[in-house]
Amino acid sequence: MEMNVNPQQAAAHQKDGLMGVVFASLEKLLNIGRANSLWPLTFGLHCCAIEMMAASASRFDLDRFGAGVFRGSPRQADLMIVAGTVSRKMAPRIKMLYDQMPAPKYVIAMGGCAMWGGPYQYDGQYAIIEGVDRIVPADVHVPGCPPRPEGLIEGLLSSA
Amino acid sequence: MYGMKIDNHPKLDRLLLPEYSNFHPLRKGFKFEGDSVDDMNRTWEIEREADQKVSSTVLEHHRRDYFVNMGPQHPSTHGVLRLLLHMDGETILEIDPVIGYAHRADEKMGENGNYMQFYPYPSRVDYLAGMIYNWGYVGTVERAIGIEITERAQYIRVIVSELQRLASHLMWYGAFLMDVGSFTPFLYCFQDREEILDMFEMCDGSRLTYNYFRFGGQERDLSPEMLDRARKFIPMMKSHLKDYEKLVQKNIIFRKRTEGVGVITKDMAIQYGVTGASLRASGFAYDVRKSEPYGIYNQFEWDVPTATTGDAYGRFAVRVQEMWQSLRILEQALTRIPEGPYNNPAAPKRFKPNPGEFYFCVESPRGEMGIYLISDGTENPYRIKMRTPCYSNLQVIKDVGRKNFLADVVCILGSLDIVVPDVDR
Amino acid sequence: MINIAIQILIWAVGIIAVVTVNALALVYLERKVSAHIQCRLGPMQVGFHGLLQTVADAVKLVSKEQIIPKNADKVLFILAPILAFFPVIVLFVVMPFAPNLICRDLNIGVLYVFSFASLEVIAIFMAGWSSNNKYSLLGAMRSVAQVVSYEVPLLLAVLAVVLVIGSLKMSEVVQYQHKIWMIFLQPAAFLIFMMGGLADTNRSPFDIPEAESELIAGFHTEYSGMRFALFFLSEYSNVFLVSCIATALFLGGWYGPFVNGIHWFVIKVYALVFVMMWVRWTLPRLRPDQLMNFCWKILTPIAILNLLVTGVVLKLVH
Repeated sequence: MEMNVNPQQAAAHQKDGLMGVVFASLEKLLNIGRANSLWPLTFGLHCCAIEMMAASASRFDLDRFGAGVFRGSPRQADLMIVAGTVSRKMAPRIKMLYDQMPAPKYVIAMGGCAMWGGPYQYDGQYAIIEGVDRIVPADVHVPGCPPRPEGLIEGLLSSA
Repeated sequence: MYGMKIDNHPKLDRLLLPEYSNFHPLRKGFKFEGDSVDDMNRTWEIEREADQKVSSTVLEHHRRDYFVNMGPQHPSTHGVLRLLLHMDGETILEIDPVIGYAHRADEKMGENGNYMQFYPYPSRVDYLAGMIYNWGYVGTVERAIGIEITERAQYIRVIVSELQRLASHLMWYGAFLMDVGSFTPFLYCFQDREEILDMFEMCDGSRLTYNYFRFGGQERDLSPEMLDRARKFIPMMKSHLKDYEKLVQKNIIFRKRTEGVGVITKDMAIQYGVTGASLRASGFAYDVRKSEPYGIYNQFEWDVPTATTGDAYGRFAVRVQEMWQSLRILEQALTRIPEGPYNNPAAPKRFKPNPGEFYFCVESPRGEMGIYLISDGTENPYRIKMRTPCYSNLQVIKDVGRKNFLADVVCILGSLDIVVPDVDR
Repeated sequence: MINIAIQILIWAVGIIAVVTVNALALVYLERKVSAHIQCRLGPMQVGFHGLLQTVADAVKLVSKEQIIPKNADKVLFILAPILAFFPVIVLFVVMPFAPNLICRDLNIGVLYVFSFASLEVIAIFMAGWSSNNKYSLLGAMRSVAQVVSYEVPLLLAVLAVVLVIGSLKMSEVVQYQHKIWMIFLQPAAFLIFMMGGLADTNRSPFDIPEAESELIAGFHTEYSGMRFALFFLSEYSNVFLVSCIATALFLGGWYGPFVNGIHWFVIKVYALVFVMMWVRWTLPRLRPDQLMNFCWKILTPIAILNLLVTGVVLKLVH
């Protein structure tokens, strides 16, 4: 799993002097807030969507980490979980949804298909985009076909 | 997909691929060239312009009616189905389902590899009924090469299929109630479903996309622990089903929302090729397990539940009854399961079936699922065509949804139990 | 003069603080209640048993980008959430929390409450209209239809209460109930009031304006960040307010066994809030037309009948 450093956080660390300290601690507070309330977009593509639902259901309960508020509208979501194969017909819509989300926004590529095409990658594959990274920047990759809900939770916590 | 032109067709456009794609992938000798992302951007621009043209004509003429895009990202389209709704106020004038957002070339992949290589894909076509789809594919090839299946394997197949049917119906139960507006049953159903998934993990190791069936038998044996767990599961499920019945089916709001909504008549169902619970709710007792028994289903005692109303509540009631019947079959299978080998050691790993056409169908939780296989005598199948139930079941919404409210369309779509990759393959 | 100014300032700051903190607490409570109804745990990570969860949410929402869609009507779009939050604060002015804890005990208190409460619908319609989104517009249309219709039985139910008490002043309304709570005199009115209240605050089973499985998020589909948070806060504050009004009108306000005081008021209000949450997580949603039928064909006639019976009985008694 890989993780991107928040650019704002990096900028805050570069500041010095008293104001720098104030901004840095404000940034820290904001980051704690963001990390603990990642509202995902209700958005499932394929099989992984079911595991995403299972992760939000009673046994795994994403809500424990404050991430259980699934919002249907991209305007109110912070996190896009790309759960499944990205087909070529769907890809522009995914990009559009990503553009509609307000910053700061995060993307989790869930499952092999969203990472690199998964089992659907073959020579001459005409229907899918091989990896969601080619259209939107993914912050965390969760491997598996489909990943277990624990895997998704782990990915979520590492993105936080 | 083949690039066939039909004269005088009212609306001839691409079904599964992006609207302005210029290739026909299922033709033999097709080779996809170029970059999929570039291709996507190009077609997207054209599609957008066409969409804007439609909305601007409505605006220019100051019409009362308007178009609403429901999906592909919408909480209640169960994935990436898109419904183009032509509405007047809250009333639907016309529904146009746009499919293909989940198309990932399953059939083409079947042609590209050999028979063994297609094992994992059927369970990904309908991820809620992976075991049953596995059986559908394995059954087709078994029919093509004519191989014996051991007694124990037959029982194992019935057990996992019926557990799968229960899991799928539970998932549907929760999702349907969520569409109608109550969120809590969803989580209770998931709780029970997790139980079944645990059992599948014990036999196959996977939670969702199984690869458990082999030509002539199973990948491995069912452990005694798993059988014990299944035996304990049945009474628990029965008591839960009774609770749900009290909480849901007797709720007046739920009855009002579903009764008389989205009536599919018997003729309409037959005309569109609707199968599964949606057909049985219209009063036609067709179940592949009874009418064309595969495996050892004819050795068990069970009934085909039907309803006569054909509305959303009828479909709901039929599915709930089916869960009871599945439990009944499971009970019998679990008591009678014999000892013995779980697979046929004589089953070949690589083989060349005789040239010919083979069809085998199973009853998936959503209807008749069949695989039509053409073999040309080589190691690779010449063509694998999947007859998926959701594809035919979805078509009916065009007739049924008309003149209904927006809220009803959500309810009808939920009651039809659509799995989008099953539509798009 | 200065004294009065300072008093007003203290009240204003106090009310805004109470409204915000209370709404945050309610959101937390809702998440916990829903979780326990659904055999889950709910927020557990932030603070003890997730107590600071909603604070984290608030911090995040404040820091989010605020998007104004390209085709939106910008002035209305910005104004709508503020207007939605405004009646909430204004309504707290006449809430009789305890004998000496009423900001302004107006002699038209009850009238004041309902006239400002109906302002909410304008904000919702503004939000839906200005977003230039079909789902928002549908949600707003449903919301207006619903709130305006349900105001009728709601007011008729309250009218019966006022008829009995003979005063519109909030403190007198509560004082009247020091022997017997109004719920025992007017049980039908209480039920109608609660149903109307559920509909007025867009709570399930009457939550059709933001029906998630149909309209995504209803009238606030296009709102993000702080503006969305304002809608969210005003929704929960409305739930609280409806419970407050119900407590004052029907459940005897601050009166209770042992010591009378604000604690009884708060306990009753939170009990009612809990009931509303319980209902939300138990029942499915009605369809818009069924909702209207229920209002005009069942609730309104019963409310009128109740009013008539009350009038006749009062005439006979006196």
